[in-house]
Amino acid sequence: MASRREFVTALGTALVAAASRGVWAQQGAETPGATMQGDGYIPVRRLPRSAFAAKRLTPLERDAVERMLACPCPCTLDVFTCRTSMPCGFSPRLHADVMQLANGGYSADEILAAFEQAYGEKILMAPHKQGFNWVGWIAPFAAVGGGALVAAAFIRQWGRRAAEHRTTAPVPVEATDDEMARLEAAIRGEDR
Amino acid sequence: MILVGELSLWVALLMATWGATVSFAGGRLGRSDLVASGERALYATFAFVALASIGLWTALLTSDFSLRFVASYTSANLPAVYKFSAFWGGQAGSMLFWCLVLSLYSAIAMFANRRSNRELMPYVTGTLATILVFFLATTVFRANPYSRLDWIPPDGTGLNPQLQNPGMAFHPPNLYLGYVATSIPFAFAIAALVTRRLDAEWLGAVRRWSLVSWLFLTIGITMGMWWAYVELGWGGYWAWDPVENASLLPWLTGTAFLHSIMIQEKRGMLRKWNVTLVVATFLLAILGTFITRSGVIESVHSFARSEIGSWFAAFLVASIAVTAFLVATRLKDLEARAELESMVSREAAFLYNNVVLVGIAFSVLWGTLFPIISEAVRGSKITVGAPFFNTVNIPLGLLLLGLTGVGPLIAWRRASVANLKRQFAAPVAGGLVVGAALFALGMRDGYALVSYTLAGFVATTIGQEFVKGVGARRRMHNEAVPVAFNRLIGRNRRRYGGYIVHFGVVVLFAAFAGLAFKKEYDLSLSPGASFSAVDPYNRTWTFTSQGVSRYEELNRQVTAVVLEAKRAGMNPTLIKSEKRQHVDSRGVPTFEPSTEVGILESLRQDVYLVLHGVSGEETAEIRITFNPLVWWVWYGGIIMALGGLVVMWPQATRAGAKRRAEGGYVVVMQPSERPRVEAGV
Repeated sequence: MASRREFVTALGTALVAAASRGVWAQQGAETPGATMQGDGYIPVRRLPRSAFAAKRLTPLERDAVERMLACPCPCTLDVFTCRTSMPCGFSPRLHADVMQLANGGYSADEILAAFEQAYGEKILMAPHKQGFNWVGWIAPFAAVGGGALVAAAFIRQWGRRAAEHRTTAPVPVEATDDEMARLEAAIRGEDR
Repeated sequence: MILVGELSLWVALLMATWGATVSFAGGRLGRSDLVASGERALYATFAFVALASIGLWTALLTSDFSLRFVASYTSANLPAVYKFSAFWGGQAGSMLFWCLVLSLYSAIAMFANRRSNRELMPYVTGTLATILVFFLATTVFRANPYSRLDWIPPDGTGLNPQLQNPGMAFHPPNLYLGYVATSIPFAFAIAALVTRRLDAEWLGAVRRWSLVSWLFLTIGITMGMWWAYVELGWGGYWAWDPVENASLLPWLTGTAFLHSIMIQEKRGMLRKWNVTLVVATFLLAILGTFITRSGVIESVHSFARSEIGSWFAAFLVASIAVTAFLVATRLKDLEARAELESMVSREAAFLYNNVVLVGIAFSVLWGTLFPIISEAVRGSKITVGAPFFNTVNIPLGLLLLGLTGVGPLIAWRRASVANLKRQFAAPVAGGLVVGAALFALGMRDGYALVSYTLAGFVATTIGQEFVKGVGARRRMHNEAVPVAFNRLIGRNRRRYGGYIVHFGVVVLFAAFAGLAFKKEYDLSLSPGASFSAVDPYNRTWTFTSQGVSRYEELNRQVTAVVLEAKRAGMNPTLIKSEKRQHVDSRGVPTFEPSTEVGILESLRQDVYLVLHGVSGEETAEIRITFNPLVWWVWYGGIIMALGGLVVMWPQATRAGAKRRAEGGYVVVMQPSERPRVEAGV
């Protein structure tokens, strides 16, 4: 039989836990106690949601989440690939955190957001398509597109000039007419 | 021998410094005696660097742990072959290896040009000697493999287990051979700019060296992919790691140069562009080395990180400044001698091909450096990993693949509509048939479908070129098909070797597209337990665990799992994957445990087994991956390398015939003979 003091303490703890669960369920992406440990690992833990709060991730969906998270070690691989091939001191712990969140009923987006909140955008394998990051995403296509346009403009300009040269000022060359005719025929006939 | 090697390194530095000084002075003052002295200094530099290298190899093979390098990268029980390859397994040794290759190449370039390109050679020698001075000085003062420890440890740390693989014995040297070869074209470009002799003469001298660089980079990159696949155990071969990207950059610009050089040779155009590409290829090789060794960008290749980054950065800036000054002051000499006439011409197709190749190089460089740029602008770090590079480079790569097929179909100067119709009909049909067939068979992945359709288009283009060439030879010379085919390639190695390279590219893209159908299974198997899995071809496999075993080998403790793999129509086969804990000669663990994958190879797919760990006594935690068409990646690389060899092979000359090489077509211009165009004929 519990004493009155034990009963009040247990009730208080339960109320705080329930309130906390409600707050985490609303805020979704927040990370309680996300403290940096000595080696750079930051625990990303949550209280589990109610069993009815969300559909649990399948193992394949959970792996897909891990493929979108960058391992903090210098391997430059994602967490899934790192932990299953050349495990470092990080990827197994990040995997454990993903498992805990996935088993707690959090969605893929919520898990990614939780990691991003703890580690910053660096934890994502590719930057968000927003703000300055758009420069990163668009620049390669802009470079190729711009390069193609510049090349096309040059070709057009050269073509016009070449046409003018052909009609107004034949370029003198150091070859006999016979040689030039044969060279021209050779070049023209190469694909026949 | 070790002491001789150590002293030789210093003498080599002095020799290279002398060579640089007197070569430039000789060129400037027109003194042939100084020029000759500079060339001899470069030969001597090679001899002394070779001695220094022999000294280090001696120390490695005899386990002289008084040297910090030997103690850091070998152990007494390391197999001899890996003691030998440990030479390039660490920073200091790889720097010395770079010096060895550069001095060897320089000596070969001096010897090959002892009677040719004499106006350029003083500056070629001076530039090469200057590059050697930089690398030797960095080696001597910043990463000296002969630096000694205060005490002699009983054993060394050992070589990183992931480097204890035959691939690592060949992959880094090939990459270095490719990187370093970019120095020779760069030296010729500098010499041409200084002397203002910017006609086709210097291009002739650099073309073969550019091919050497391209060939070794191709082999090195392919071997690197193979090593990553069989050794790292993540089931892939390219992770867009910054160091992998660094090897791709000079390959891309070098490939662009090998295409655009044809336009300058044939039409006297793109002169500024070609100089820019030669210089960019060299600078990107240096930038790659800077990225690898400076630590400014995180990479899995961090084993080679050290303090020499600032030296490389300074050298890079100085090289850019000197080259930019030379190009800016010689713009008039770099004016084109002819002009491109039509948007629909082979020259234009080559130009677009260049835009895409350089665009891909830019996107790879941009993605590699964007984390630094983003941090500078926004103050927060980001990661740019495989999803970014795949999103950006897959469409660009497919565009490049399409252009690979378009270029050979368009005539030089200006193509007529009739010509285009005739040339494109079969390749377009070939591509569409492949795409439609795969769609009918159920393929729905968009990128894979486009990739195979374009592969069909390019393969038909190449086939059409060979069929036309062989047909023409048969008509003109009445030759049998094999003879005509052989002579077709032999008489025009540049053109048909190039097509072989293009075919290798087709094979590579087909293999890359196969990744879209990869299937993975993670499972736990206790002894005797079975698991069924369906592969990408919808065939069911059964894997039965034969148990976990533990045993010791020369320098490691091994935990291994063996699976029996069965499927209908195939005899049961065993696959083994290991976890290895490497130890030194006293049994002390030296590195984190590493994985040795088990691969059941076939042309259609690999069954790839990775042992993650063992839970309990004998329950193996494993992953099985079906990797379709992986072998075609290696075949694609081999075909490309063979094509490169065909292109490089010296063209036989026929006695009495004066030839003019015109962009791959040899035109006989002897007045006494009938003109003959050898369009592969």
